[in-house]
Amino acid sequence: MQADRREETILKLTEIFRDVLDHPDLVLSNDLTADQVDGWDSLSHIDLLVAIERAFKIKFATREVASLKNVGALIDLVVAKTEGAH
Amino acid sequence: MSYTSLRFIVFAALALVLYRLCPARWRAAVLLLLSYIFYCTWSVEAAAWLLGATLVTFFGARLAAKSKSSEPESSERGKWLFVVLVALLTGYLVFFKLAAIAAVPGVERIALPLGLSYYTFKLISYVLDCYWGKIEPETRIVPFASYVAFFPQLMGGPIQRAESYLAQLPPLRLSIGEGLPRIVWGLFKKIAVADQLGLTVSYVYSNARSLHGAQLLAGFVLFPLQLYADFSGLSDIAIGLGLLFGIRGPENFNRPFTASTITEFWRRWHMTLTGWLGDYVFTPLRMATRNAGTASVVFSITVNTVAIGLWHGFTWGFLAFGLAHSVYLVTEALTSRLRARFFRKNPNLDGWGSRLGSVMVFFLAMIAFVFFRAANVSDAAWGLVHVWDGLSSFSTDLGVLIAAVSLRPLVIGLIGFAVIEVGERFRPDVWMRRYFATWPGWAQQMFGATTMTLLVAAAYLLLMSNAGQDRPFIYEVF
Repeated sequence: MQADRREETILKLTEIFRDVLDHPDLVLSNDLTADQVDGWDSLSHIDLLVAIERAFKIKFATREVASLKNVGALIDLVVAKTEGAH
Repeated sequence: MSYTSLRFIVFAALALVLYRLCPARWRAAVLLLLSYIFYCTWSVEAAAWLLGATLVTFFGARLAAKSKSSEPESSERGKWLFVVLVALLTGYLVFFKLAAIAAVPGVERIALPLGLSYYTFKLISYVLDCYWGKIEPETRIVPFASYVAFFPQLMGGPIQRAESYLAQLPPLRLSIGEGLPRIVWGLFKKIAVADQLGLTVSYVYSNARSLHGAQLLAGFVLFPLQLYADFSGLSDIAIGLGLLFGIRGPENFNRPFTASTITEFWRRWHMTLTGWLGDYVFTPLRMATRNAGTASVVFSITVNTVAIGLWHGFTWGFLAFGLAHSVYLVTEALTSRLRARFFRKNPNLDGWGSRLGSVMVFFLAMIAFVFFRAANVSDAAWGLVHVWDGLSSFSTDLGVLIAAVSLRPLVIGLIGFAVIEVGERFRPDVWMRRYFATWPGWAQQMFGATTMTLLVAAAYLLLMSNAGQDRPFIYEVF
């Protein structure tokens, strides 16, 4: 169940990442970080977060965003935040 | 004492001997002692300020974190304590910056404490990292105080984060083989390049109003080269010194003149300052205003670049420097998708676009640096207008300038700059180390000893050529 929801979240996040970063072939992995993706800078990072907030109907706090280390941590955070909705 | 002075070399050599002799568990304490001795040679009063700021932050962050983790009522108090601490540290920085330009009513002009902008930023990032729960407040005062006062980084950064420094304590591996070449590379950049180019730059900027055309242009073009050699040289020396004492500091530069956009330029220039502002100013501002669309982007970028400018000092010139970069970065941010799509549709133009971009970045950065370097904004504006005068007599004007400043240091500086660019592109040190690692042990030791002797000789020659004309690093005064 938990694994299913994670998979579902990754699929939805991949779509958002591809759209915001303008990378139609981008594949997300847990250890992926911003330096490894062209165009993923501090500006587009917030665009990504805003798009994720809208798509999942959640809100991030600055401190949560400040301690994100990689895509895996972002996926975990989104899964944790959407838990109540399921 | 400056890093290029004989006094400092003697101090560092003695310090290193003492450091190697003492057990690893004492090294943080020895580093702290050495750092305060170093700082006291500059000013005992400033050292007292440094100690005060360190103690207030250390105990303040512990108290705030303790309150924040307890019941809701004191949790709110803890949050406010963090806010007060950040406000106090920012106020402390702003007070000295204002006092340095005699803008505080009732306070006489005071010299800026050495390294103020660097260590205050270290303290603020530590408090915010504790507040956001990225790190736990440090419980031992000695390692913490040694982080704030760490003498290799005190004069000109790089601005290391507490987490990265404290994780390396106690320092076990003192990397002389990596540290010494880095120091000599930094000395080369400073003495053989920055100070040589600096002669022409100083001449042009001090006589700007009586020069024109090619003469002004030469000074304007040379200043970014001088500044890069000077500041990245200072960072190399700081990182190299850190390695000698077993602490690896963050990189501050990554070949900035290869950047093809101003955004990329800032990811390669003074990286520890831009990284700091990105994490503690830009991201929180963008997050707070994220639903305001384009206005949020323009606002956050402008606050960030103005902060970069004013971090150097509260002058109109630094403000103009920041605002120029704000215009560049906002324009880039608003056109980034358009440009990405254009180059995706026209992949054959991508290479040319990057090359043209690098040239444009150099000249745009150069224009902003005119405001950074000129005595005041009106001189900078005057120079930027009159740089177009007399373009028909370009070579004659250049000849007059060269006759006035002497050709030798200029040629040495330019050749030296080419050596820096080629050296940092191809990194012969890395492939040499990899190549010699396959040699038998005795041959490696022989090679190591020869290299060290040559490096010490090179450092000696550089310092001797510089004797009696000790020019401070540009970023020493911030």
